[in-house]
Amino acid sequence: MKIFKTKLISLITLLMLIATTILSGCGTQSTASTAGKTDTTKQVTSTSNKLVVYAALNDSDVAWIQKKFKDDTGLEVEFLRFGAGDAAARVEAEKAAPKADVMVGGSVEFYDNLVKDGCLDKYTSPNAQGLDSQFIDPNGYWQGWYMGVLGMVYNTERFNKELAPKGVKEPATWDDLLNPAYKDLYVTSNPATAGGGYIFAADQLFRLGDDLGWDYLNKLNQNVHHYTPGAVDPITLVATGQFIAGMAWAHDIESAMKKGYPIKVVVPDQTAYEIGGAALIKGGQNPANAKKFIDWLLTKPIQEMNRDNSNRYSILKDVAPPQGMIKLEDVKLVNYDRAKASEMKAAVVKKFTDMIANKAAK
Amino acid sequence: MLEINRLKSEPVLLLTIMAALSITVFFVVWPLIKVITFPKPQEYLRVLADSIWYQAALNSLFMVVISTASCTLVAFLFAYTIVRLDVPLKGLFRFITLLPIVSPPFIVALSYILLFGGQGLIAKYILHITIDIYGWRGLWFVQTVTFFPYAYAVIYSTMQSIPANLEYAAYNLGASRWSTFKDVFFPLCRPGVAGGALMAAMNVLADFGNPLMIAGNFRLLPTEAYMQMIGVGDLSTAAILATALLVPALGLFLINRYWVGQRSYVTITGKEISLPPMKVLLLVKWGLFALCLLISIVIIGVYGVLFYGSFAKLWGYDWSFSWGNMVYVLNKGKEIGNSLKFAFLSSLFAALFALLLAYIVQRKQVGLNRVVDFLAILPGAIPGVFLGLGFAMAFNEKPLAMTGTSAIMVIALMFWNIPTCYSASTAGLQQIGNSVEEASLNLGVGPFRTFKNILLPLLRDSFVSGLTVSFLRSITCLSVVIFLYSAQTAVSTISILGLVQNGEWGGAAAFTTVLVSIAFTALGVVCFLFKKQGKSLEI
Repeated sequence: MKIFKTKLISLITLLMLIATTILSGCGTQSTASTAGKTDTTKQVTSTSNKLVVYAALNDSDVAWIQKKFKDDTGLEVEFLRFGAGDAAARVEAEKAAPKADVMVGGSVEFYDNLVKDGCLDKYTSPNAQGLDSQFIDPNGYWQGWYMGVLGMVYNTERFNKELAPKGVKEPATWDDLLNPAYKDLYVTSNPATAGGGYIFAADQLFRLGDDLGWDYLNKLNQNVHHYTPGAVDPITLVATGQFIAGMAWAHDIESAMKKGYPIKVVVPDQTAYEIGGAALIKGGQNPANAKKFIDWLLTKPIQEMNRDNSNRYSILKDVAPPQGMIKLEDVKLVNYDRAKASEMKAAVVKKFTDMIANKAAK
Repeated sequence: MLEINRLKSEPVLLLTIMAALSITVFFVVWPLIKVITFPKPQEYLRVLADSIWYQAALNSLFMVVISTASCTLVAFLFAYTIVRLDVPLKGLFRFITLLPIVSPPFIVALSYILLFGGQGLIAKYILHITIDIYGWRGLWFVQTVTFFPYAYAVIYSTMQSIPANLEYAAYNLGASRWSTFKDVFFPLCRPGVAGGALMAAMNVLADFGNPLMIAGNFRLLPTEAYMQMIGVGDLSTAAILATALLVPALGLFLINRYWVGQRSYVTITGKEISLPPMKVLLLVKWGLFALCLLISIVIIGVYGVLFYGSFAKLWGYDWSFSWGNMVYVLNKGKEIGNSLKFAFLSSLFAALFALLLAYIVQRKQVGLNRVVDFLAILPGAIPGVFLGLGFAMAFNEKPLAMTGTSAIMVIALMFWNIPTCYSASTAGLQQIGNSVEEASLNLGVGPFRTFKNILLPLLRDSFVSGLTVSFLRSITCLSVVIFLYSAQTAVSTISILGLVQNGEWGGAAAFTTVLVSIAFTALGVVCFLFKKQGKSLEI
């Protein structure tokens, strides 16, 4: 009996050892973070030199923004990089105890959803004066700071070898993609997961009207090999020759092309565009710096740098388009109703998902 | 009634069990409840009425069956060849069983597409065929490569401790080689095979990185849940689909219990002599060797492409040498450091805690041990991404607000690792008869010393193998941490996923190469330290 007792005492010592290690770990962590909290709230009134940003941007964008913002303002930015959906989901999940000050990048539709759930704070930058009204949230939450248009990408090597001999012309319009020659050679992104994928679907509905629009998506579905989770994935798959054509953001296609892949970008008429957003997260600990960051994004030098680094269009009229890309005035944009697009998203995605499911079942 | 009396007379045992139980409940069941109770009941009805998910559920089940079968088969083949056969290249085979554990899960798919895809090197230039690699076949291949090492780790440690005596006895008594294998050797492997298959199955069931990359239009529960959460922001449906994943996981658990059952597998009884492994027919021996070699070559091919691609100018197009991709790895020192730190702490805590749990279940036959057993294996049944989500929901507020801290990363990874360590410790303990401990206790040695000097050395192999596997899989874990990391606690896999999402597959390959190298260096150091003490590390 005594033996058992001592044995168990040793066991429980081991257990308590583990428990104390864990709990002391959390203990110090949480006191540290509460201490941090009170510190920063104090600092808000004076000066905090920190800023936490959730960015739905590319790794390379984050790198230059971090460096340049520090050079310009002396502020240290902590970045977390996600896809737009992940970033929004994260802001949503942290609603009770926000960890970030700003969300930046990704189409403004994602911001509209966050506004609905009360995750964002209102802010209109003084630098937004004189901007086209579509770049400023009518409700005062998000701020648009770049533009991107949807385009088609095709692999020139495979196209010339496999499709050109069959008499297929290079794709120029969205309707060209319905050519049966592209069957299983075309990839695009899933509207359920990729912002670009959804804007493409909405584009077709706005361009052709509801009935013909769904008809188009259904027909295109016959050619689609599969729907990728991310908007960039089709570019990589086409660039490496896995497929011949795809749909993605023109600026991302341009970036891949400039690296040396044998691909070409086509910006068809009636294409849609995204407005990349930025907004304050409600309950962020460094709101003053967050505002400074959004103001900074709207300055001309930063708009130019963003254009050169990401091939995205600037929202400022006096900033030229990215090198090698078509002027936005020369693109016949679809009449894209952003409010309606946000509103109908859930229903469209649901219908689209059912449509793909039928394809998969076959 | 008897049990209650027994526990009354052993208050310390009762306290220990209670403490272990409450810690596990707090960190496993509580986050789980948070996820399950997130959707309202009517939302459950709405989702369950939608037939679209049934296909996904069936597909998931299908993948679990075929991938687990292939993982277990390959794992058994490798374990048998390494433990029982006298063949060359064992070092290589061991290396092959580690490689997939050390690389992020979704990364195999990248080189798989390159090798077997439409313009794939193998499909186009060697086999001259065009196959559609997207769908369940491709997924089957990738999952087998990715997850067989988890089954191997468990099967190996079990096989390792099976002495050849019984087989000699059977053979000398006139049993055929086949029947010796089938009726004597294999039954002794059963706890390992069952445990290994369970590990593989749970990994396959919860896998979402590979399906995202390779499954094409083949829908699975974890990917559907992920899409609902990320794409549509529909947490309720996501939580419901995750809950649906728990049902087959529970089934797996019961099958495992039933199959291993109540048999006794004691082989270390304290009164044995060890003999060299039984000889097998030359044909069988070299046949198995050739199979292992073939599989190894395929896996080396997959990782070779990844390694080569990380030094290529343009992934999948221009193969000339370039350091260009390494740019993506510079400035990521913090992420790499975090990966190593979190992986080490979480695997150490997991191994210790799992040993305690396994000891309670195997040696203290109280009524609660089924509950403890269930809780210990339960985290393996929770898809990593939802364990992470559960942690984010449960520890976002008082009493334990720790989102964004290192602590939450470590604890989440720790509980995610417990099934691995627990399976290893349990399999190890089942091999050790009570008589060894009893002898020690009867000779007047204290229980603590008995535990330390008798049980621990015998358990060392399974303990260290559990610890090491946990460490390696934590380094490469994505799913658990994806909802938990903050700017300060970001880890390497997050950066790699980001690069894949940005289409920088070359950069992702380069980062993976660096991460794998670091992991193997760490492993090499541990092996070296063991060797210095005259021991050898068995993984």
